[in-house]
Amino acid sequence: MPAAYPLPSDLSPVTVANTASLLRIIALALISGAAIASRLFAVINFESIIHEFDPWFNYRATKVLASQGFYEFWNWFDPTAWYPLGRVVGGTIYPGLMATSGVIYNLLHALNLPVDIRNICVLLAPGFSALTAWATYMFTKEMKDESAGLLAAAFIGIVPGYISRSVAGSYDNEAIAIFLLMFTFFAWIKALKQGSAFWGTIAAVFYFYMVAAWGGYAFITNMIPLHALVLLLMGRFTGRLYVAYSSWYAIGTLSSMQVPFVGFQPVRTSEHMAALGVFGLLQIVAFGQLVRAHVSSKQFQELLFATVISLGLIGFFGIVGLTYKGWIAPWTGRFYSLWDTGYAKKYIPIIASVSEHQPTAWPSFFMDLHFLIFLFPAGVVMCFRTLRDEHIFVIIYAVVASYFAGVMVRLMLTLTPVVCVSAAVALSTLMDTYLDPAEPSVEDDKSESSTTPTGTTSTSRPATPASSKKAKKNKEKEKEKEASASAGGVLSELVSNVTSSAAKSATTAERGVFGMDTRLVVLLNSLGLLLFFVVHCTWVTSNAYSSPSVVLSSTSSDGGKNLIDDFREAYHWLRQNTAEDAVVMSWWDYGYQIAGMADRPTLVDNNTWNNTHIATVGKAMSSPEDIAYPILRKHDVSYVLIIFGGLIGYSGDDINKFLWMVRIAQGVWPDEIQEPNYFNRGEYRVDSEASPAMRDSLMYKMSYYRFAELFGGQQPVDRVRGQHVPIQGPTLDYLEEAYTTENWIVRIYEVKKDDVLGRDLKIANAFNQGKKRKRTKPMSRRKAIGA
Amino acid sequence: MFWPLLALSLLPLSLAAQKSVHEQLVDLAAAGNGLIQLNEQTYDLLASPMRDWSAAVHFTALHPQRRCAPCKEFEPAFTAVAKAWANAPKDQRDKHFFATLDFDDGPAVFQKLGMSSAPGVHVYPPTDGPNASAKKAPFKYDFQNGFEAGPLAEQLSVHTPIPIPYKAPFNWARAGSIVSLIPIITLVFRFIKPALQNRWVWAAGTIATSLVMTSGYMFTRIRGAPYTGPNGAWIAQGYQNQYGQEVQVVAMVYGILAGSFLMLTVVTPRQLSPTRQRTQVYLWTTVNFLVFSILVSLFRVKNPGYPFKLIL
Repeated sequence: MPAAYPLPSDLSPVTVANTASLLRIIALALISGAAIASRLFAVINFESIIHEFDPWFNYRATKVLASQGFYEFWNWFDPTAWYPLGRVVGGTIYPGLMATSGVIYNLLHALNLPVDIRNICVLLAPGFSALTAWATYMFTKEMKDESAGLLAAAFIGIVPGYISRSVAGSYDNEAIAIFLLMFTFFAWIKALKQGSAFWGTIAAVFYFYMVAAWGGYAFITNMIPLHALVLLLMGRFTGRLYVAYSSWYAIGTLSSMQVPFVGFQPVRTSEHMAALGVFGLLQIVAFGQLVRAHVSSKQFQELLFATVISLGLIGFFGIVGLTYKGWIAPWTGRFYSLWDTGYAKKYIPIIASVSEHQPTAWPSFFMDLHFLIFLFPAGVVMCFRTLRDEHIFVIIYAVVASYFAGVMVRLMLTLTPVVCVSAAVALSTLMDTYLDPAEPSVEDDKSESSTTPTGTTSTSRPATPASSKKAKKNKEKEKEKEASASAGGVLSELVSNVTSSAAKSATTAERGVFGMDTRLVVLLNSLGLLLFFVVHCTWVTSNAYSSPSVVLSSTSSDGGKNLIDDFREAYHWLRQNTAEDAVVMSWWDYGYQIAGMADRPTLVDNNTWNNTHIATVGKAMSSPEDIAYPILRKHDVSYVLIIFGGLIGYSGDDINKFLWMVRIAQGVWPDEIQEPNYFNRGEYRVDSEASPAMRDSLMYKMSYYRFAELFGGQQPVDRVRGQHVPIQGPTLDYLEEAYTTENWIVRIYEVKKDDVLGRDLKIANAFNQGKKRKRTKPMSRRKAIGA
Repeated sequence: MFWPLLALSLLPLSLAAQKSVHEQLVDLAAAGNGLIQLNEQTYDLLASPMRDWSAAVHFTALHPQRRCAPCKEFEPAFTAVAKAWANAPKDQRDKHFFATLDFDDGPAVFQKLGMSSAPGVHVYPPTDGPNASAKKAPFKYDFQNGFEAGPLAEQLSVHTPIPIPYKAPFNWARAGSIVSLIPIITLVFRFIKPALQNRWVWAAGTIATSLVMTSGYMFTRIRGAPYTGPNGAWIAQGYQNQYGQEVQVVAMVYGILAGSFLMLTVVTPRQLSPTRQRTQVYLWTTVNFLVFSILVSLFRVKNPGYPFKLIL
């Protein structure tokens, strides 16, 4: 058989096998290193700090767990959150993340390694990303072979779509959840392939861990039943499927109900009904199969068939009926909004207001997945070519996840693993084809493949289809098979996973690539793509995804870097200068940060469970001072904290979020707050043309209070909205400025106590300033108070 | 059924007898099947400063000359809600009126109210009598929930004495078409069954779905993005934005790139003539490289800060 390039021929099969596995281990170790290292930009550019919003709560909870033990954590009631309601933390969180860090913390301390809990929290996500790479390797190995597995591991290690949620400091549930997701899927595929209750149980255990760690577990709860159902419909019901699914569902569901936050949901809510229904269906089908194997009468078999179908229908209508009667809760809003995309905006503005719940435009896909995004369909086609049970899983996953990722930006995270797996399958098939040195023998154009081009050695025939290793392995292997007849034994060992592709050996043997230049061109192009991918990932990670958002950075014109640390400055001020029980009101985005960094009670925070409470804050922010003041006093608010970006152009400030406050408040008080009032002829303005409701709102006043003084008589400019603010700024009667940070990003106002003389604060202010206007009104009021 | 007819027959009588303003309005509403068609005079009656009734007034411009597409869209919804109110119990019904004023019937009213756009719905609270509201200013309905009748009825119910007994009409057309589809589908199923059992049909569907979804189709659906921008621009400015045409272009680019990989992997190695195969390999590699550089330059348009580029 002609070969495009020679292979060494003096290596023993054992050497080949050993070298291959050593190389795999080294490759995986390097991939893990790359995965961890690329997530450390945030620590190197800034410092070892917890990022964003939710992580601050997780960090705070982990500190409680580490310092006071698990039972204290479990029973923790937090009176400072949602003041004055408080929050039962133990029953309203997914404790998996904190428990993981707690275990690591205790383990390290047991080994006398006194590591700070903060560093464990900061570095947990990078650490788990290495495990994710390994789990993806295992998963992809089941799809194709080890070489595809290594490619997939490398992809998921550095792909920005996953890095965006797992940089160092991003201490959130997703940090460990993607590893659990991939490993559960891997265990499921393994269980399905082997019909093994053992692997089914492992899948169930990891499913339990996933339930304890992330609300996105519902994705697994529905993916696995969907896969089972499709297999059933395709007529691929086997005993293996029955064993795998039943063991996963029974153990997984029972264990998931042990998580307090989940409780009885697996039998009471619609999200979980698909899993239950498929479980029931499998029992019916298995029973039918069993009975059919024991009876022979044709009539009886038909009767059986009808029974099975009617049992299935009864079960289905039973579930529907229970839902209708209210025994099974219908889909929750968050879940429902995935299907009816207009639902959230109408009925649950809080969900619609979160930036990561917005739909995804195509640049985000390209940014997060780069060239994987177009290798991904090619890989799906590859799955269709072989179409074993596990490939169907990847296909379903691909369709479902690409829809979800299109609907919500944050669900890009669930799309990323399947894109990596599928792209790895496609790319590794390409490389297999063009690295294989075997050339088909040249034939005339007209005579088709009546003569098989393989031929020189008899062993090469079964070996050719198996040539799907990485480059080096490939060479060694090929040489091996040409060198000795004993190669078959090694190869069968090496290739145990590629058995199915051996079925195609008859056709593949006739295929091949001629010449070296063609091989080089294709491989260089692929290599170029891979290199570009690495450069792209590094750039995206370092520039877009590694900002802690607690500390901001800006680049000055000479390329120098300025750090803007206003948030921590303000929180620190609160911690140092206010009473420990002083309630701070802010929009809910900053609730966790205030609790975590300033350690002060807050009205609302990022755990948006109470819409009315949030709407109350929204109402206070969007009402005029005299209406807002009683609300503030009734809630014991001492300080109001707002974010203002107008001075340095920080666009994520409260004025830009203001309309959501208005909308959410309007949802509860449609009479008092109306969104159109905040527009001037359909335009959202903050300049002198701003609408009266806008100008009188507490938020506007607090944002621009004394803003004009900075400009020394010139027309002040809001750098975010690019509008000129009036020179005559707003005045405040019921609040006074307490603190404003260096760049004016955070402004804190103190709520004034009642006037000592019992006057209305507005009048008292007017009196202090020596104003004597409004002669009639104050007189009558004073009389009224006197009387 | 009976009483509107009766009212109609009474109408000339009642007008002649110079009834009180309220009674006139009741009659007008009855005549219009629950909806008063206003003009300048009747508007003044309805919005008289001393009123113990409330009223929802719909301002519109239905004349074709005015070219008000939203007016036409909203008109059936308001009429449906007004009709629903006619089914309210009589004692409550007469405390609230639904009325509509076309621009061509009363431009002076539009001018007086400073209304520059239509449609609009104002709800006038009662100013007199037991139900008098403290608020003088009319409530203005805002169309953030679209022009549907359901949300309109829900919002207006806050201002009416009792909630408007509005029920969305049963969509007979849709139900009928679904029912008639069933035999058609069963019939067609017999013919397309082989296609459904063919994996490549499913593969085509899967690939098409994932290509379209990853090109931002759902973004255009949810945000209602236009197909193209003003002046025929088809690339929307900004990283978090896109037009409908971009979905097609990007999906096609992804498709070509994936196709070139598939060609190199699946088709080319089957070619048994070295020259042809070499041509194909070079062709598809070039296509791959060129189209990918086009994609990168497209991305640079969307995200000007992106520092990398290939040949384009």
